[in-house]
Amino acid sequence: MNLLSIIWAEVRKSHRHNFNNHLVYFSLFVWPAILFINAYYAFKPFNLQAGSPLARFVPFDKLGLFLITGYLAYIFFWSLVQSAWQMAYERQQGTLELLLLTPVPRIWLMFGRAAANLIEAVWLFSAFSLLIILFMGGVHVAEWWLVPVAIVLLVLSAVIWGGFLNIIFLFSRDAGVLYTLFEAPMEFFSGVRMPVLAFPIWAKSIAFLFPLTYVLTILRGVVMEGKTFRDLSGSLILLLGVLTVLVIASLFLVRVAERHAKETGNLTLF
Amino acid sequence: MLEARHLKKYYTVKEKTGWFSREKQLIRAVDEIDLSIDKGEIVGLLGVNGAGKTTTIKMLSTLLTPTSGTITVDGTNVVEQPNRIKQQVNMIAGGERMLYWRLTARENLMYFGKLYGLHGQTLTERCRQLIRLVGLDEAADHPVERYSKGMKQRLQIARGLINDPDYLFLDEPTLGLDAPVARQLRKTVKDLAKVRNKGILLTSHYLEEVQELCDRVYIIEKGHLLLHGTPERIIQTVVNIFHLQAVVSGQSSDSIWLKQELEKRNVQVSVKDSDEGKLLHMTASFDMTASFIALVAKQGLILKKLEATKPNLEDAIIKLAEESHAS
Repeated sequence: MNLLSIIWAEVRKSHRHNFNNHLVYFSLFVWPAILFINAYYAFKPFNLQAGSPLARFVPFDKLGLFLITGYLAYIFFWSLVQSAWQMAYERQQGTLELLLLTPVPRIWLMFGRAAANLIEAVWLFSAFSLLIILFMGGVHVAEWWLVPVAIVLLVLSAVIWGGFLNIIFLFSRDAGVLYTLFEAPMEFFSGVRMPVLAFPIWAKSIAFLFPLTYVLTILRGVVMEGKTFRDLSGSLILLLGVLTVLVIASLFLVRVAERHAKETGNLTLF
Repeated sequence: MLEARHLKKYYTVKEKTGWFSREKQLIRAVDEIDLSIDKGEIVGLLGVNGAGKTTTIKMLSTLLTPTSGTITVDGTNVVEQPNRIKQQVNMIAGGERMLYWRLTARENLMYFGKLYGLHGQTLTERCRQLIRLVGLDEAADHPVERYSKGMKQRLQIARGLINDPDYLFLDEPTLGLDAPVARQLRKTVKDLAKVRNKGILLTSHYLEEVQELCDRVYIIEKGHLLLHGTPERIIQTVVNIFHLQAVVSGQSSDSIWLKQELEKRNVQVSVKDSDEGKLLHMTASFDMTASFIALVAKQGLILKKLEATKPNLEDAIIKLAEESHAS
């Protein structure tokens, strides 16, 4: 048994099960596109020229780029919150119990699910974002090799985040509250629409709980601000630290969740 | 051999007693059950709803941890080495859940096969064989949502065999199925045990099915083991009442002689006149059919009608349940 085989199995299942109707792709594209357009035009009535409070953090001519990179990274993370929500369906359908009947390593299954759902959920909006970036211009890259590195970090972070959420959903049928906790707060506090540096201290402290915050700092640093590897090394270390904590927490929680399910029989409750 | 010894499963549940207060309650779902299953054997696990059948199956299949007691599969402890056991056992539940409805039968089997570490040609061939075994060849590439209840249940059987388990736990596999489909499934189950040498544990509310299929039966009630044995032995132990009804021709003196002879053999007899002759109702704690026929032949009477009613497993379960409630 290997991880790639599990991911491939999940990709095929997810494709047939979650993306059966092509309208799903449409909604996964239209929804973030509307969010992006909404955010872009929400800024328009305000004075964003040099000297404005926002211009201290985002130059006026780079607002579009700032927002599209924000929503591009956000959709990676947000789609996995939705995918974790699908665990409730598996619980109701009884397939969750069957998954735990198999000898597959649970951690592979949880991260494999996240990886499988991610690819299909983001490709269309990613293509749209790329076109918008090319259309708007303003890209400032100092070291081009950092671009694929930033994308890999984005994918890796989202998968680890998604796997972690999947594990949380193993605990309880009522974990749907995470959707409320993570959807809007993640969009706001991670700096998708507003730069984190513009936040008050209390909001910054919340921002740094989300791995998306670090991913966005690196992604924007690479494509907008022309930062070098040396410039980004601090953020990179922080991101890797947060991801390590999430992986360790996932490894611990998946054992606890299964032990809890075996003790209480709660997998059949829905 | 699969063996469970002194198996217990207790749950602590919290019952609401007020707005902010809850009271803990201990539920003894399974309490001191011993059971064993040999390869090639079909073992029934019977009991009314809530008796602890599904809890027992889930403990045997590693989905629940016993509160105490041991389960071994061919000498390997289920709690200590669950991953090894998961390759050797599988579970099939009745009903239409536990499948991905938007996937086809083949896709469902391929998916679960990969979770058991199968891949490549081995997996493809295993899926093809199982699809054929359960007779879903023509519908193999149709989404499961288009299947009838019986087809879904057959796919469940195939899914349960994807890891070629040595032991298979069937939790009401014929629930809600039409008689012909249920009969076909029973044949499949019998073949799995007798031809493919799989040890099968079966729970079912259809007691004729259990009587037909099972080599041995465990009867549980409120988590306790009440009785264990072959279906015949259980019936004999619990409901040892046999009824025989016969019509014989002849004189009244013949029927009186017959009555006396039968009563000497501890058979209760009542005699009535009927259009065809003398109608005899006989009740005994043993099967008196052979003795009765011998007496009829000895006296040279003509036997016009004979109807024997043997007690079945259902009678035994009902009687056990009544005794249990009474105590």
